[in-house]
Amino acid sequence: MKSFIAVRLALMVPTLLGVLIVTFLLLYVAPGDPVQAMIGERADQATIDRLRAELRLDDPLPVQFGRYVSSVVQGDLGTSYITGRPIAADLMDRFPATLKLAASAMLFAALFGISIGIYSAWRPGSWGDRISALIAYAGVSFPVYWVGLLLILVFAVMLRWFPASGYGGFAFLVLPAITLGMRSVAFLSRMTRAAMQDVLRSDFVRTARAKGLGETPVVLSHGLRNALIPIVTVLGLDFGSYLTGSILTETIFSWPGVGRYVLTAIEKRDLPAVQGSILFLSFVFVLVNLVTDLVYAKVDPRVAYD
Amino acid sequence: MRRLAILLVLVAAACADAGQDSGTLRYYLTADPVSLDPALSTDVQSGEMITMLFDNLVRFDVDAKLVPGIATRWEVDSTASVYTFHLRSGVTFHDGQPLTAKDVEASILRALAPGSRGRHWPLQPIQGASDYAEGRAGGISGLVVPDDSTVVFTLREPLNIFPKFLAMPVAAIVPASAGADFSGNPLGSGPWKFVSWQHDNALLFAANESYWGGRPESDSIRVRIIPEASTQAAEFETGQLSVVEIPFSETQRWEQEHGDLLQRRAAIRDFYIAINTTRGPLADVRVRRALNHAVNVETILSTIMAGRGVRAAGAIPPGVSGHDPSRKPYEYDPERARQLLAEAGYPDGFPLQLWRSQRTEIARVSQAVQQALGAVGITVEILERDATSVRAAVRNGETDLFIGDWYADYPDPENFTWPLFHSRNHGPGGNYAFLSDPALDAMIVELRTTTDEARKEELARLVDTRVFELAPWIFLWFPEDMWATQPDLSGWRIPAVFTGQRWTEAVVSE
Repeated sequence: MKSFIAVRLALMVPTLLGVLIVTFLLLYVAPGDPVQAMIGERADQATIDRLRAELRLDDPLPVQFGRYVSSVVQGDLGTSYITGRPIAADLMDRFPATLKLAASAMLFAALFGISIGIYSAWRPGSWGDRISALIAYAGVSFPVYWVGLLLILVFAVMLRWFPASGYGGFAFLVLPAITLGMRSVAFLSRMTRAAMQDVLRSDFVRTARAKGLGETPVVLSHGLRNALIPIVTVLGLDFGSYLTGSILTETIFSWPGVGRYVLTAIEKRDLPAVQGSILFLSFVFVLVNLVTDLVYAKVDPRVAYD
Repeated sequence: MRRLAILLVLVAAACADAGQDSGTLRYYLTADPVSLDPALSTDVQSGEMITMLFDNLVRFDVDAKLVPGIATRWEVDSTASVYTFHLRSGVTFHDGQPLTAKDVEASILRALAPGSRGRHWPLQPIQGASDYAEGRAGGISGLVVPDDSTVVFTLREPLNIFPKFLAMPVAAIVPASAGADFSGNPLGSGPWKFVSWQHDNALLFAANESYWGGRPESDSIRVRIIPEASTQAAEFETGQLSVVEIPFSETQRWEQEHGDLLQRRAAIRDFYIAINTTRGPLADVRVRRALNHAVNVETILSTIMAGRGVRAAGAIPPGVSGHDPSRKPYEYDPERARQLLAEAGYPDGFPLQLWRSQRTEIARVSQAVQQALGAVGITVEILERDATSVRAAVRNGETDLFIGDWYADYPDPENFTWPLFHSRNHGPGGNYAFLSDPALDAMIVELRTTTDEARKEELARLVDTRVFELAPWIFLWFPEDMWATQPDLSGWRIPAVFTGQRWTEAVVSE
């Protein structure tokens, strides 16, 4: 187990290096010029040339890349071209907000998605099952953007139950968490239903029922327990993607997370900020995947990492 | 389940109540300010905030009239190149230190310091400023502080509007002791004191009790960062914002639902399409006039823009000296357009690329223009890119047509002539049409340097007429701003320039 973790952590290095190279090349070929974004209106050529020289943007690409990698290796993500603030600090400023939103969305999705899935698998063809199918289709078909605005309109503007947007306590979390978690609810409920149906039809479940076990332990202990692998996979992947920022949800709900930070950085061609954020977020994503893999072993004793 | 729902509602109600403290003004920005350090401010959002926290020697009021700030009065010599400012006494920064001419000097040196990434241009006219900024000199020869209450600027060439430049955010006065990491804890002398700033979320300022110009009417102001227009509207409708700007596309809904809450103001702004006068057929003035005749601006304005604006016949907006309301716009006349194109040797038209950013109203206007030009044989390909890409392409002269708008920093004809049309400002300077016209250049330079106000107005009129005839733009309209304000808010009006509203008189009645 320990050596498995060590190998996976070591493998992160080439993964992140690959991410860095791709990001660097993409930003290099992308149109637009960071200096033009920095300088605002009414610029003069002398200032532009001076800034290009100061930022050493005219150096050959490999030289720029080498310089960047060497500072990253020393633990320095650099400072933003635009704001002059250290990028690592900016990311740490925003990551708690993203974590809070991602965790809430995941909690919401797991709670509702798995419950709905279990019910549907337990009573396939029932009204409840049909409604859950409808919810799932709605969840995957409605764009996040539209769901978010609809929730704001209904629950903030019309009913006044929740604040329309902003960062704060529980009340501020409800609408963005639902918006972000919607899609996961849909996937999870279908995934749970499918996996559970397979399990519930299997011999050992029939045996469990035959020996007189009640429905609750049959469905939860025998059924859910054995259907967990695909569910954990979906949970892990979705959580990873939520943690790396959800630009639309954060924008609609004015949520100060990393998604908006990255978006702003890309829009302004803030090269070090984009590279730093993508590096950090890739790291988070890879880490979440590793944890997911470790959870497999916990969930299914047949999975062992030796 | 029902119990859970009730619980959720109760919690929500409790949280919502906690947010409702009165006496606080509630404003918003569409993006996080780049910096609260005046030396680093390049964007409108930073400028608006800096205007509230800091003082300048002079500043703009809500109607964009230049009024005294830290300077009580100023004199200019007969050549418009030596300016002497006399400072107010007894002004202190928020920490109690006195503000003197030394701080003014330090602020300007700091903003221009080599390696600074601010928006320098308002300070560049000072003699020696460029040498200092580029590290060729240890000081600025044109900046002299003879005593604690006097600052003398000598300019490298005459410039009659220099005091207006000193009202820009980059010229705000910071303590001489200000360090490099000033943005996180800005210390000014303005009507509001900095309290907190959580990036991408909110800024909080408190009233400066001992402000020399009188304490603000309200105790505090909270400025949220809300990028999405629909969310801004929702926050306003739930009472969480004191004011909200109405997007053009939402005009009719607001007029119907909240007509009594709306304020309007003619903006000092151009909405235009720059024609690159160096590219192919567009070098021919007949072609550029044909483009102007081909577009039915009146219809686009009344439909897509909900009538919010005044048709433009030139670049100088109403309310700015030199604007000529009697000049007739290019008439919508596709026949005439075809005829002009034929005269120029393009009876069958030609293809063009129109570059635009992703703003909603710009998308719709672009399509209307595309259709109108198609009708006279010019096939327009619309290239939609993010703002930074568009900006880079336009400034490098890679675009045939570019649609955008130009905001006044200060209400002066110079702001609508020198950057936009003087040949020295091709590309990054603002002349996106790459217009070069020696006669025009000469008039613009005289407009910048004359000390005779009447002559300046006459020149502005002449320049604008010449610009109109040369047609470096498809002249569209001068837009009208529209904001909604809460019924209990008083003392707030739409500012004419972005530095014009300091929220000092705004107050929410209890």
